[in-house]
Amino acid sequence: MITAGIDFGAKNVKVVILDDEKIVARGSALTGFDLKIAVKDASEMALKAAGLKLDEITHITETGIGQGSVAFAADSVSEVGANAKAGVKLLPSARTIIDVGAEEARAVKCDESGSMEDFVVNERCAAGAGAFVEAMARALEVELGQMGPMSLKATEAVPMNAQCTVFAESEVVSLIHAQTPKANIARAIHDAIAERVISMVRRLGITEDVLLVGGLAYDVGYVDSMKRGLGVEVHVPELPEYVSAYGAALVAQERAKE
Amino acid sequence: MFDKFKEWYENRHDYAQAWKKQTGGKVLGYFCTYVPEELLIAADILPLRILGSHEAQDVTEPHIFGMFCPFCRDCLAQGLKGRFDYLNGIMISQSCLHIRQTYNSWVKHIPQEFSYYMYMPHGVQTPHAYPYLRGELEVFKKALEKWIGRSISDKDIDRGIEVMNKNRQLMKQVYEFRKQDNPPLTGLEAMYMVVSSQMVEKEEHNQALEAVLKELPNRKLDRNTGTRLMIIGSEDDDTEFVEMVESLDSTLVVDEHCTGTRYFWNEVEPQKDRLAAIAARYIDRPPCPSKDWPERKRFPHILQLAKDYNVEGALVIQQKFCDPHELDMPALRQMLEENGIPTYFLEFDVTVPIGQFKTRVEAFLETFALPDLF
Repeated sequence: MITAGIDFGAKNVKVVILDDEKIVARGSALTGFDLKIAVKDASEMALKAAGLKLDEITHITETGIGQGSVAFAADSVSEVGANAKAGVKLLPSARTIIDVGAEEARAVKCDESGSMEDFVVNERCAAGAGAFVEAMARALEVELGQMGPMSLKATEAVPMNAQCTVFAESEVVSLIHAQTPKANIARAIHDAIAERVISMVRRLGITEDVLLVGGLAYDVGYVDSMKRGLGVEVHVPELPEYVSAYGAALVAQERAKE
Repeated sequence: MFDKFKEWYENRHDYAQAWKKQTGGKVLGYFCTYVPEELLIAADILPLRILGSHEAQDVTEPHIFGMFCPFCRDCLAQGLKGRFDYLNGIMISQSCLHIRQTYNSWVKHIPQEFSYYMYMPHGVQTPHAYPYLRGELEVFKKALEKWIGRSISDKDIDRGIEVMNKNRQLMKQVYEFRKQDNPPLTGLEAMYMVVSSQMVEKEEHNQALEAVLKELPNRKLDRNTGTRLMIIGSEDDDTEFVEMVESLDSTLVVDEHCTGTRYFWNEVEPQKDRLAAIAARYIDRPPCPSKDWPERKRFPHILQLAKDYNVEGALVIQQKFCDPHELDMPALRQMLEENGIPTYFLEFDVTVPIGQFKTRVEAFLETFALPDLF
């Protein structure tokens, strides 16, 4: 049976098409100003890759910030619910799934069936989310993709108190003026994000295995900081930014059978 | 000559562990300067104030509400990270809700052979506070006696009072030197002196103070005094901040902090009833704003300090979310400004963005030079 999951992220819309539980295609587009255009672009991309037409999809489930804005989705699931479902499917031993996207950080504690037991979502600021790395990459004048590899070359841990993105940027500027090597600053930024995220996740308790998903999990600097901060092994699936969309598509499979 | 204090402050854990090994005595961590150290010294216990480490951390979120002050979280983090594992006991004397949460979490999550919550009254402006606190001290003394397995005599208490009073007198004498046109010590050195007194054995601290007092009259610093500043507010042992301020052609000549004058300014006035004498000292001390109501008795004291130390401007700081200080600040700043003392407000966190704060303090200091510029 063919189903699809659509994840409306703050930065990108992601689509995953499943044939039973097998991923047959993915698509993504910048969220931009018009969600309808973004979802059209992302789904057309996925449909084309799969060689399918929209009416061949039995059930579509959506998740993310723009839920309810697409007429062709049958229903929706929360991001945390989608994370739990997909996380356990990708790594059956996963019990804590941490999803950091562009503007939100979430964590979900789940059981072996992928049912959510508890969750936390960031409340106060963007300092523990992906947009923060983008802002800091601009301040350091490096490509976003370089932030991770660069931070792995750090020689020293520089303390940073990134309570808020704007203040953190001024801290970064101070560090630049103090001639702190860029690699050390990059690591300080990743450590600060990891610290915000871990603080939040500790409210759930850290139950292994830990799976990192969401776009920030592409960033090896962040993954390294999380590993050090948590003091346990962390796992990252392939294409971590599609995990929520995959979860929504899995939910669609279940609901289509009901 | 102030290096010893800095060394004690920076190596507080090494000091306490060495002290324990050498004396076989007990070390008690405490959370607030309303803790009657006189009785702890009488019991041959080393009182050690628990302060933070000014490092980012991620371990306290499950235990302390996010909008409690960063200081209370920084303190708890030290315990959760095991840095105070050598303590034999901990205690708090009621001051504010935030630090009480630190104490409660500590008791719950970090095993101790002794823990004590002292009912320090909030209403220190009522005459009933004196007998009330005296009674609480009696109860506390009994708890201590039970813990150490011996009774605490009047002679022991006299020794506690004497050592504490001497420490207060000596630090006040050092502060006298800060009144000079060119003080022979910086605000940073004074800060190291006072915070270290909250960490090491008082007799040893007194000896170091006596040595400093011998040398201070002949000491000249190779720096400009610049603008004479006062620093007022919450708990503050942010040495990096103080160092930055004093690098900008200014000197902190006096403070009103519980890591400064608020801790040591008044003494125990001897009475036959020792516990009543100690109670009176803590009721009458320059109050923490959590206890300074209905009348704001702290304000005239602050103004007097500003006058005595010829203060030109005041940095008013608070730990983020510290409600007692925050509530006082508008009135405090107005009072100082009406008395010709410009103020500048800064909010502290576990670490402060030093570059941004530098710009702000620099601009504040420039306002003092403006009449000359234009």
